[in-house]
Amino acid sequence: MIKRLIPRAKNWHPPPLTPDYKTTIARAPRQPFVTLPAAETELTGPTFGHGDVGPLDHDLTRNFSAEGEPIGPRIIVHGRVTDENARPVPETLIEIWQANAGGRYRHMADTYLAPLDPHFGGGGRTLTDENGHYEFLTIRPGAYPWPNAGNSWRPAHIHFSVFGTAFAQRLITQMYFEGDPLIALCPIAQSIPDPRAVERLIAPLDMEATLPFDAMAYRFDIVLRGWQATHFENQPEGT
Amino acid sequence: MNNRLPLTPSQTAGPYLHIGLTPDHAGLGLEKQSALGHVDAGDITVTGTIRDGKGEPVKDALIEVWNGADQWLRAVADPNTGRFTFRATRPIGPAPHLALWIIARGINSGLHTRMYFPSESVDDDAALAALPESRRKTLIAKQREDMFHFDIHLQGDAETVFFDV
Repeated sequence: MIKRLIPRAKNWHPPPLTPDYKTTIARAPRQPFVTLPAAETELTGPTFGHGDVGPLDHDLTRNFSAEGEPIGPRIIVHGRVTDENARPVPETLIEIWQANAGGRYRHMADTYLAPLDPHFGGGGRTLTDENGHYEFLTIRPGAYPWPNAGNSWRPAHIHFSVFGTAFAQRLITQMYFEGDPLIALCPIAQSIPDPRAVERLIAPLDMEATLPFDAMAYRFDIVLRGWQATHFENQPEGT
Repeated sequence: MNNRLPLTPSQTAGPYLHIGLTPDHAGLGLEKQSALGHVDAGDITVTGTIRDGKGEPVKDALIEVWNGADQWLRAVADPNTGRFTFRATRPIGPAPHLALWIIARGINSGLHTRMYFPSESVDDDAALAALPESRRKTLIAKQREDMFHFDIHLQGDAETVFFDV
């Protein structure tokens, strides 16, 4: 049985060159991508297990410092990873990174005025469960200025890295927060041509998952490329 | 899209990707955190530089390397020079190659490419055979002494072949 992925969606992901996001001008490939006649290497991918993830890795309020709590609104970010055919992607690695509540990254290249938080690192990782569900506890990140067009501000966001089961499914994206007026002004968010696709990155408030007197919750479901129909329904993705 | 769920679209990994992917390269106290994708074993060393359309090294890039079987690793560009270096196990089989996925600030969707080895029979590989000679050579590493050199060009006359996989 030959496994093939559903062809990559056109005009849904951002194109390489989006000049309003100025760094793409010198970094976007100009030649069209070449379709691989046989992509066996990319139809497999690395797998991860519980040995790769520590007990506090999903909790960004505690995974950097044991001496105190970070400043900022406590939030749960959770959701499901499925493929286009709605099959769950179990035990796949999700990695996130983000700025602190003031909009500052714990990174040597970030020189923004806002201070580092001594109790916040900003990185986390987890595995999805058998149903594709994942959950992080973190601090709501702040918006921050960036050098693009003189007065550019990134909407608050969390970077997500997701694996799936095939290297060709590899995805890095950013999650935004419902109601943020900066999303419509951001050349990175708007590098995505279709507003319906941008909408997929905006996490709504999820009152049901909120922890009373503890943390608000946002829901971010992630959909990876699916396999062409050559195998049975209701199997986990990738089997 | 029929009955399919709409895909989550890609966004750039940005300049701070190390915090989440290779915290040991973020500095500021994160270097003490564990990182995945460290491989310090293998019989080959690969080094190179990713260059933009102006010829400048892309110093904030990260490359993921997958051999199609059992080895996956991450290599980061040096923040001062842009050079990346990694060790890996040389793949076997006809037209052996490594799959590479490149992310950086200014790259909206991760770029898929492959690195092939010199002196292998490239005619055995459908991907290489389908390319014109001028572009095929962008995927073949050069061996100098005990290292393989593989430079990646995002634009220009020597633009590397990137795949829609």
